[in-house]
Parts: sequence; structure tokens; C-alpha cells
Amino acid sequence: MNQNEPASRSAGRASNAAWGAFGYVLSGLAVYGGLGWFLDRWLGVSFLLPVGLILGAVLSLYLVITKYGRTS
Amino acid sequence: MSTVVVSAAGGDGFVAPGPASFDLPPIVAGVTKPMVLIVLSAILVAWFFISSARPAAIVPGKLQYVGELAYGFVRNSVARDIIGGTEYIKYVPLLVAMFFFVLLNNFFATIPGIQFPTFSHVGFAYVLAFISWVVYNAVGIRKHGFLGYLKHSTIPSGVPAFILPLLIPMEFASNIIFRPITLSLRLFANMFAGHLLIMLFALGGEYLLLHASGLIAKPAGLLTFVFGILIGFLEILVQVLQAYVFTFLTAMYISGALAEEH
Repeated sequence: MNQNEPASRSAGRASNAAWGAFGYVLSGLAVYGGLGWFLDRWLGVSFLLPVGLILGAVLSLYLVITKYGRTS
Repeated sequence: MSTVVVSAAGGDGFVAPGPASFDLPPIVAGVTKPMVLIVLSAILVAWFFISSARPAAIVPGKLQYVGELAYGFVRNSVARDIIGGTEYIKYVPLLVAMFFFVLLNNFFATIPGIQFPTFSHVGFAYVLAFISWVVYNAVGIRKHGFLGYLKHSTIPSGVPAFILPLLIPMEFASNIIFRPITLSLRLFANMFAGHLLIMLFALGGEYLLLHASGLIAKPAGLLTFVFGILIGFLEILVQVLQAYVFTFLTAMYISGALAEEH
């Protein structure tokens, strides 16, 4: 289908991975950090923001590894 | 370092440039310089490509050669290599226009007399990122259908099912929400910071050379000016790079929306 794919495939995949990883880590921290922050305000506690941030970091790293870590 | 110089100066101190320095007053009837520049850049880019394509000679003359070089660069290394396949040609006009539009507007920061990067006003960057966002989402929805596209862009493959509910909000945020935000803010922040740097070196050098007193003021001022010129060269690199990155990422998002896997 793509006669241009084999030549640029590995380079393209590496840069895809770089930008994708950046996007996922950013969104993981933002989504789960934001969730933790909202829950903090709603419940009046202060520990959920760092919990959310750490959870977001862990999940985003998991997503990056499963999506881009496979050297297929 | 700054306390040494300012205490040597006495008098009224140095006023550093800030975001307020980017508020340019209207030239006539509410039309400001960035407005004029953005329209001018559109006219110039369109005029260049139209007039370089007009001869359409098999053996190109100089203008046609440069135009084909410019067009070919975006068409080959951005559109064909990233989107590829049989459909990439449909997106070439958008990507060529986007690259040279951003490039010329960025170069306005360096061109003497103009010396203002239009994308240091964030509204312009927001609009361009919005266009990117509409295009890659529309392309994906047209190919996969609305629900199919949502599935395609929010459900990662290769993860066990129980962890999916945790990952879906992240994928959604990453693909649909943060892409236009980072696209626009990356361009804006680079242009804003670069222009602010050059202003700082120029104004600081001028202050040190003319208004400051003290032993090291004159040599420091000269050094500041020289550094400012070097930063200007760095800024040219940043301008080209940011134009390329914006176009490259738009092409990547389009390619991701068109992708067949999962």
C-alpha cells in the first residue's frame, strides 16, 4: 500500500513515539492531577492532588510503554 | 550582575521589556501592525507561489525552480513521508500553505523595519491550531465515522481490558484536548520568548551604553549588543524550526487519524 513506508518507517516511528510520549505524560498528569485537585476541593482534603499526579504519571508511563515499547 | 550595574548608574533605572511591550498601538482606525502583517504575509505567500507556478516550463527558470524547491520540500519530506499512501496529495495544499505562512510570519521578527513576529500575539496561534484541530478530526470522522473515530482515537490497543477505563480519559485528553493547546502554545511561546529576548538585549545594551555610569557599563553594553545579534541568529533557527514543527505535527495528526491499525 505505501511504497514510501519501509524507508522512513523506523525514523517516523521514533519521532511518533517521542511526540506521543510527550502528549501522554502531559495529559496523564493533567487529567489525573486535575481529578485529584477537584476531589481535594470537594472533600476538603489536601493529599489527593499528589496522589492524582502520581497515578497519572504511572498510567501515562504504562500507556507509553505498551504503545511504543514493543520493538515489533 | 544587575545590582552592580544599577548601583553604578544612579538616576532612573532600567525598565525591562515585558508583555506590555507587545501591545502595539493602532496605525489608523483600529488597525494595528500585527493585523497588517498577517494580511501582508498571506498576500506575499500567495503571490510567490502563484507567480512561481505560472511559467510551468519543463525546464524551469529561476523563480519557478525556487518555487518548486519550496513546494517540493513540504510535499515530500512532510506530506509524503508522514501521511504517505495514496491520499497524501489531498493535504499538500494545506501543509504547504501552513508551513510558508508560519515561516514568513516568524521571519517578520528578523526582517528590518518590521521586526515583529505576528505569532507572539497568541490569538493568531490559537486560530491556526484550531484549523489544524478541525482538519485532523474531520479527516478521522470522515474515514471512520464519528463513533468509529472516537473509538479509534481514545481506545489504546494492546492493553488488558480492566485498565481501559483508566486509560480512556487520558487518551481522549491527549488526542482531542491537548494537541491543539500544545500546538498553539508551542508556537506562541517560542515566538514571544524569542522576541522578548531580543528586546531585552537591545534595550539593555542601549541603557548600558548611553544611560548607565560606572566602569563596566560601556564594555557590558557593547557585549550585550553583540550577544543580542547572536541571539538574533539563534532566533532565525528557532523561527524555521517552529514553522517546520507546526506543519510536521499537523501532518502527523492527520496521518494518525487516517491510520488503519486498531
